Amino acid sequence: MAKLTIPAQELMYPGHAACPGCGPALAMRLLLKGLGPRTLVSIPACCWTVIATPYPTTALRVGVLDNAIEATGASISGMRAAADALGLKDVNIVGFAGDGGTADIGLQALSGMLERRTNAIYVMYDNEAYMNTGIQRSGATPWGAWTTTTPVSPSLRGKPEPKKDIMGIVLAHRPTYAATLNPSFPEDFDRKVEHARDLTGPRFFHVFTPCPPGWRFDSAETIALGRLATDSGVFPLYEVEEGRLRITRKTGQLKPVSDYLSAQGRFRHLTPDDVARIQAQVTEDWERLLRREREEIVRSH
Amino acid sequence: MIEIRFHGRGGQGGVVASELLAQAAFLDGKIPQSFPFFGVERRGAPVTAYSRIDDRPIALRTSITAPHVVVVLDPGLLATERVTDGLKPGGLLLVNTTHAPETLAAPGGVRRAAVDATHIALAHGLGTAMLPIVNTAVLGALARATEVVSLEALSRAVEQFVPARPEENRLAARDGYLGVRTVDGTAGPSVPLPTSPRVAGPSLPEGPMASLSSERIHTAAWRTFTPVIHLDRCTKCNFCWKFCPDDAIEFDAVGFPKLRLEYCKGCGICAAECPPKTIEMVAEV
Amino acid sequence: MTMKVLSGNYAQSYAAQLARVQVISAYPITPQTSIVEKIADFVASGDLNAQYVKVESEHSALQVCISAAALGARTYTATSSQGLLLMHELLHWASGVRAPIVMGVVNRAVAPPWNIGADHADTMSQRDTGWIQFYAESNQEVLDTVLEAFRLAEHPDIRLPVMVTEDAFYLSHTVEPVDVPEATLVDRFLPPREPHAILVPGEATRLGSFTGPDHYVDFRKQLADAIERVPKLLGKIEEEYRALTGRSHGGALPTYRVDGADAVLVTMGTATTTARGVVDEMRAAGHKVGLAKLRLFRPFPDDEIRRLATQVGRIGVVDRSYTFGRMGPAATEVSAALYSGGARPPLSSFLAGIGGRDITPHEVRRMYETLLEGRTPTTHWEDLEEEVTVHG
Repeated sequence: MAKLTIPAQELMYPGHAACPGCGPALAMRLLLKGLGPRTLVSIPACCWTVIATPYPTTALRVGVLDNAIEATGASISGMRAAADALGLKDVNIVGFAGDGGTADIGLQALSGMLERRTNAIYVMYDNEAYMNTGIQRSGATPWGAWTTTTPVSPSLRGKPEPKKDIMGIVLAHRPTYAATLNPSFPEDFDRKVEHARDLTGPRFFHVFTPCPPGWRFDSAETIALGRLATDSGVFPLYEVEEGRLRITRKTGQLKPVSDYLSAQGRFRHLTPDDVARIQAQVTEDWERLLRREREEIVRSH
Repeated sequence: MIEIRFHGRGGQGGVVASELLAQAAFLDGKIPQSFPFFGVERRGAPVTAYSRIDDRPIALRTSITAPHVVVVLDPGLLATERVTDGLKPGGLLLVNTTHAPETLAAPGGVRRAAVDATHIALAHGLGTAMLPIVNTAVLGALARATEVVSLEALSRAVEQFVPARPEENRLAARDGYLGVRTVDGTAGPSVPLPTSPRVAGPSLPEGPMASLSSERIHTAAWRTFTPVIHLDRCTKCNFCWKFCPDDAIEFDAVGFPKLRLEYCKGCGICAAECPPKTIEMVAEV
Repeated sequence: MTMKVLSGNYAQSYAAQLARVQVISAYPITPQTSIVEKIADFVASGDLNAQYVKVESEHSALQVCISAAALGARTYTATSSQGLLLMHELLHWASGVRAPIVMGVVNRAVAPPWNIGADHADTMSQRDTGWIQFYAESNQEVLDTVLEAFRLAEHPDIRLPVMVTEDAFYLSHTVEPVDVPEATLVDRFLPPREPHAILVPGEATRLGSFTGPDHYVDFRKQLADAIERVPKLLGKIEEEYRALTGRSHGGALPTYRVDGADAVLVTMGTATTTARGVVDEMRAAGHKVGLAKLRLFRPFPDDEIRRLATQVGRIGVVDRSYTFGRMGPAATEVSAALYSGGARPPLSSFLAGIGGRDITPHEVRRMYETLLEGRTPTTHWEDLEEEVTVHG
């Protein structure tokens, strides 16, 4: 057997209820590999509420607390406070929430947790819409994407507003560590998880998790699509620690964003002008990221 | 009153089939009632929907446990779901299958009908090989086999209420109507029903605490395509294992990947990501 | 025994300290704030060894307590009015995951218009959330009840959250002598929390979970059974507390001079003290009147109300809030209890003290007179009969 490049231990059971090709399922599997069994996860209403399977079964080999959709940040503050009060050592406290539960309804609790510097890891797995309720737009849905509440019609061509910059919001709180992760790059994913695991203070992961039913692509393409997202600059991989921003994957020339868009039914209606507009934005954001990496302008706490 | 229970898989159109049937029955002057089982729908996961059709207002708001007709949109469900539970004597079991109706297992006295709705759907470009949308072809077959609705009303309902490709769907309904074969309930193979997939719970814990492993839930029924690994070309690179979202791949004693088919949902990621392309996705029969 | 002159809010703070709570989380709101300020002092001075999580909302305060309780910590929070309403969804979560949180609530009116006076609309609108609810009459009762509440909340047969409420300003900011028991005494009464059904690192357990129609009802029934066990257990716990401190507050529905009474008022919170004075005065004048204090509102003391009904001629229920489209909420509950009981004396609903109005002896006397005269049972807005005496 070739040497494994990510930990062998499986802390997610099979038999879970994720759709075939589910990005969030793979994200959880990789996350727990890096964190290990002494992990407690707080999960709000999201796809994972269901993926974890109904009572009396559970799909995770670690402790899980369900919480209200808007309360994940507070929940992990409470878990950490209890762990400290009870003298529980070497415990990873983790919030695992979707993009709606984080960037929309859970933003206040997230901000509170970051500001009070809770010693915990907050994971936002981003499938770019309310998928558990059946594909409604969220603040994290990108411009132009079809969802059931941003339908394509003569007067509306998908979501008319841009995606919320959750990393910008998080970095404004100067967390100990923040990074973007993509399960299509498991070694980078695992390195960031294991690195963050051993730090203290608030840590944040923005995880890219493709959704085959919601984004309208074949379930076999989840990994390839994720790779395209990063290599086109739509979802760059980087980390920020002690004020330093470091891009963790660079391939020289970015792939055209049209490769990424055309692979998904949710962007099928976009015109060449729309695609050009998205391309311009992605290029501008990528160049800004490169500048920030050079300038080290991000300050930490 | 006629009660019909649909068994399908998430994304296949089973719930829409029950709604379309209601629309068609209404166009025929009947009073219909259709609804899905109010659970959580996942693409590929077994789903149930119900329809009632009567000449009078329907005075029942419950799920259907003793149907006159059971419609199975995916033959894979016959092996994993107890689709004929409660099916009334003299009732009908209609299955989307390439096999002859004589081969279908059903309780005594139940008529059996078969239609190759997958073939019809794909011939009209409805859905993909991975997930054909068979609902309109199956409804055509249902119209013929039961006469609960007319083909004409069904065609009109398809034209009015199917959001995409109404013409192809109308033709699929017609082909299903023409292609169904029905046999009576006097003879048929006796096949034991699958055991209930429901997980028996322990005695109630102190509060809503779940602690049994989901490993006891088998998700093989979600699959329409099965990976087959040709080990002769395998380089043991582990990519299939690394990217499997279902934890459905382990290693054998010498480090070759081994499928845990009871959990594989057939997403196809392993085949797509395998660098030497040693994994093939084979259609479930 | 140490007598201190304390506000109701400080009585809450001292009780939390004596209970050796391990995690506190709170957000400021008038007139609750001094509770959590005092606890902050205890933590800062080392008089209380606890994690104090300062949060950005009451909603998060309760979530912190729920999640901390899920890991086995003893937790306390406090709030009032709007803050309690913001917690609403999480109140259900707390009882649903059987988190034995104790929360002090200062009963305050609900906006709009803004009003910070005493009023029970905040807690009354949360009575169906699976929390045990106590209404206190004095600062001593506040302190004692908070300690008893932890025993109840954490008892293996109960495992439910408890609210201990006090009227805004009439208790929260009123100072009066309170016996603060010795810590060693309280430690004997309230040992550290025993872990039941909690999350343990390394164990594959999911708390909360989700269920279809198959199991959901089982967990609801489990919760219903648990709260039904409160009255019996409360008696035992009070007995133990009395053995240590010499004090008891009389269970769920303590009564005063109700034997053979022609008219009895059922009161909650601070209205009780004033009414007790009026009873003495009217008894002295030959009127057969009595009083019952609704101390435990959830679970509702049906049996005690039915027993009371067999002893008295008429019952009036004094509510400090109104259920729109119905009568006073306590009156509604009392009449529901009586429907299935043997005796059904005439019942009146009196609304008094809304939004910080005083409930005066004059007003209480008029309520008794209304009952004694046998006027048609109906809902009386007593405040509207009074001259406004609010200054400032």
